Amino acid sequence: MKRVLALYHKELLGYFRSPIAYFVVAVFLVGTGYFFTYNMFLTGSASMDETFRNMGILILTLLPLVSMRLFAGEYNGRTMELLMTLPLKPWELVLGKFLGAVTILLLMTAGTLIDLMPLYLFGNPQTTTIIAGYIGFLLLGMACLAVGQFFSTLTQNQIVAALITVPVLLSFWYVGHLQNFQVSPALRGLFGYLSFSLQYANFVQGLLRSEAVAFYLIVCAIALTLNAGYLQWRR
Amino acid sequence: MSNPAAISLESVSKRFGSRTIVHDMTFSVARGEIVGFLGPNGAGKTTTMRMIAGFTTSSSGRITVAGCDMATHNEAAARKIGYLPETPPLYDTLNVFQYLRFVARVKGVPRGEIASELDRVSAACRLEAVTHREIYKLSKGYRQRVGLAQALLGKPEVLLLDEPTAGLDPGQIQETREVIRSFGEQHAVLLSTHILPEVTLICRRVAIINHGRLLAIDSPAALQRASEQTSRVTLRVGAPAADVQAELASMDGVIEVSAHDSADAPGLVDVECQTDNRADMEAAIARAITKRWDLYRLERRQPTLENIFLRYIGQGSPEEASA
Repeated sequence: MKRVLALYHKELLGYFRSPIAYFVVAVFLVGTGYFFTYNMFLTGSASMDETFRNMGILILTLLPLVSMRLFAGEYNGRTMELLMTLPLKPWELVLGKFLGAVTILLLMTAGTLIDLMPLYLFGNPQTTTIIAGYIGFLLLGMACLAVGQFFSTLTQNQIVAALITVPVLLSFWYVGHLQNFQVSPALRGLFGYLSFSLQYANFVQGLLRSEAVAFYLIVCAIALTLNAGYLQWRR
Repeated sequence: MSNPAAISLESVSKRFGSRTIVHDMTFSVARGEIVGFLGPNGAGKTTTMRMIAGFTTSSSGRITVAGCDMATHNEAAARKIGYLPETPPLYDTLNVFQYLRFVARVKGVPRGEIASELDRVSAACRLEAVTHREIYKLSKGYRQRVGLAQALLGKPEVLLLDEPTAGLDPGQIQETREVIRSFGEQHAVLLSTHILPEVTLICRRVAIINHGRLLAIDSPAALQRASEQTSRVTLRVGAPAADVQAELASMDGVIEVSAHDSADAPGLVDVECQTDNRADMEAAIARAITKRWDLYRLERRQPTLENIFLRYIGQGSPEEASA
């Protein structure tokens, strides 16, 4: 665990010197601020539903910019040779990097809390619904990062990593729509289950369903395991 | 530690698809020994280094480093290896201190010893002046030395250096050689290089490889002896060319003589002879000449490592080379 922490620390130092991280955080905060203001003052609803939904799509397209550099950047900077020959196990490498990226996600999320102030000042929002929404948002973000991190392992080119990750994540987001074209209940169930947006909708509505929590955690686990497995195989 | 050799390769091969990059390589490096890895670009030096370092696995054969089998105890071995790849693996956004501290922590240097360990490697690699400078601002020479410092962290038993002096100026090369030499007294060092004199200066043994095959591994002196069946002796004599020619040609062990009037020393004769490899050849020639004439200069030319190297890599296999 010491080694994971050392790597995590190095990752954070890297983020704070990377213009992309600042860009992503800035765009995200401006975006969420806009969605929130629009929701609150133009439609007059003192809830976060619509804001959370928009935040979901926004994060889906922004997080690949965070995850793309995780391994592609190491290949490109020739530092992978160092990481793979240091006494680091593949899973430690994967975990340290993932925790670093999740920290950026947490910072982004924390930045949106300021939007809640007018909500509480001028309205009477349901705190539990908002908390559930935030939990869902974090889980969704973690799943996006894990998937993006895996694709970042497959290429030396950060842009390619992002260009693969965005459509994959968007497919997971919209796969629920395929339900409408299915006759077989099994397929309908499958598409519904795989849908990032339908699972996320639970949280936005204030439901903390263990199934939905498990879904995102499973996605993370699968992506990170594939990631570590690929690193081991690549030797 | 059951295995006395710090690095040992037993019939190691590496294939990428149908291409074999390293063929059946067997050698070992003992503790306290510096071995130079010599070969043209694309000979398989870097691939071999990477296999020993654990960055890639071998397709067949067995590699042990400090008693750990690389196939099964990769992580245990990683603790005992300091590795400087061909391109120093640096994080441009970190400063030198942050970078070295990261490597030290991952290598498991105890928290309390990290500061002294960083001081030690910074002093050894002369990095004190740039400790808090961002790595992207460093010159090529400094980058190379930060890479070396990283490899020295944690006092590894085995040091693998892929062209450690590339990009350094002559003064820095000198200092870096000193670092490697002092380190090699207690540890095993395998270093690859293009610079041939470097090998004679710091390496106890030289491994010559080409096309992924180990062509020879021995001390530079032994390689020199083995590589030439005959020696070349040149001399300058104050005597008529024809007389010297006749005198030397009649000597036992002299194969060929050519004497001609010296171009830059009027009245003297320059002689080149090819002799067999016996050790007292130049003494015998000196005795024969000084009996009758004045001897101005006498030199037995040893083949340089460069000649040996070119001779080996010019040939396909070690059998031909020793024939």
